[in-house]
Amino acid sequence: MADKGNDPVAIWQTMIGEMEKGFNSFANQAMASPEFSKVVNQVGGASAGAQKQLGDLMEKYLVSMNLPSRAQMVGMAERLQSMEGQLNEIKAMLHQMQRDAGAGDSGAAGAPRPPRTKRPPSPGREPK
Amino acid sequence: MSAAAGFDLASIPERIQSEVQRAIQRSIKGVEYIASSGPSLGSTPKDILHVRGTMNLYHYRPMSDEIYRVPILIVMATTNRGYILDMVPGQSFIEFLLKRGYDVYMLDWIAPKPEEKSLRMEDYVLDFIPDCISRVQRDSGETDVTVIGYCFGGVLSLLYGSIFPDGPMKNLICFTTPIDFREMKLFQNFSDRRYFDVDGLVDRVGNVPPEMILSSFEMLRPASRVASQVQLWDNIWNDEYVKSYRMFDRWATDTLPLAGEYFRAITKDLMWDNKLFNDTMSVGGRPADLAKIKLPILHAVAEHDHIVPYDAAKHLITKVGSSDKEEVMLKGGHVSLVAGANAIKRLWPKLDSWLGGRSI
Repeated sequence: MADKGNDPVAIWQTMIGEMEKGFNSFANQAMASPEFSKVVNQVGGASAGAQKQLGDLMEKYLVSMNLPSRAQMVGMAERLQSMEGQLNEIKAMLHQMQRDAGAGDSGAAGAPRPPRTKRPPSPGREPK
Repeated sequence: MSAAAGFDLASIPERIQSEVQRAIQRSIKGVEYIASSGPSLGSTPKDILHVRGTMNLYHYRPMSDEIYRVPILIVMATTNRGYILDMVPGQSFIEFLLKRGYDVYMLDWIAPKPEEKSLRMEDYVLDFIPDCISRVQRDSGETDVTVIGYCFGGVLSLLYGSIFPDGPMKNLICFTTPIDFREMKLFQNFSDRRYFDVDGLVDRVGNVPPEMILSSFEMLRPASRVASQVQLWDNIWNDEYVKSYRMFDRWATDTLPLAGEYFRAITKDLMWDNKLFNDTMSVGGRPADLAKIKLPILHAVAEHDHIVPYDAAKHLITKVGSSDKEEVMLKGGHVSLVAGANAIKRLWPKLDSWLGGRSI
């Protein structure tokens, strides 16, 4: 086998790695300047604003096309989430009642929970 | 064996054959890659204990016949999903903890809705975390709780611990948690108060979009995405490499938006005024003095962390008032510290050996 130093694939991979490091380091130096911060924040601020405006426009368009808007979908998701939340609360209450009734310590999934008696393994003993 | 100019000529046919095979495999696997979805992540069995807005509290089902008395609550970073700690069986930190006998809960986040833009730092520190802790106490029947915070989840846990120093937090473990935000130099520059109009941004967009968060992370290493795609193509014949790439890539790009007011507070209090480092931080009018934290604390930091460099994280241990405190620096980066092959052999066993004796 060719040693790693002469292996073209290994050379290629090393080259990619070195190029990545070099470019990252160069870019990091450039990005550390106040000029970069100024430009990126001007552009970034404008693009975030434009994105928001586009989103609002799209929402109006969907409403005019008689399609559910994002706000309506979010509203539906919220209602589903609230139902899920209530179901979870009911589940937790049922398990609490089960526990209070002395039916044994039970996990939220209904399976019995193991006892809280575990001790760390003694030094030198590999845990399972 | 003959060698010319350092080349092993005898190996050339073998090498060509291997490369041809890999090229064929690349074509086949490349099509498979495009046509298939990635591995299913976060599949360790769990129950949703509570959901409220952006907050999700899970309880993972125990995997051991006997568990430690003190349950663990993991507080995830607010920018990312918790499944980084529960990738796939065999590479899941959660599964590791369950098999080692811990009772594990996780405070995970979902994208805040537009109307949740007004969530503030105090909602996270004085409401979400205490709410989850009291639910963990009720569910487990135990008063004490160990908290593990990853990255900004660590910051939130520290703030919580400094405001409620008398408990019920029994142990605190932080992964790559920044304290001195001046040392996050590129983030500092991106948010330079002379040019970054955080008020204008939050007032205009509400919640800070995930694309903006993701691009600020990616700008820290701008060449890495392209390089990783080249490496993926090189290794696309290798199923294990592809599986790992897909897991991490999916997680890294699955960034969450940040609630507007919360982002405003992070920018002003931490990035601009560096209040946590300067001991002037307060949340909802309550001083958050790290020196008040007296409980056992472990801080795991990564040697090659480009997001939270060591200089930003190193003050945690000196600032807390605990006598039982330890910082451990491990090989790896911000993510490989907690997930993947590196974490399996370094961080996870270290954490188990530290926490076991403190969980009884």
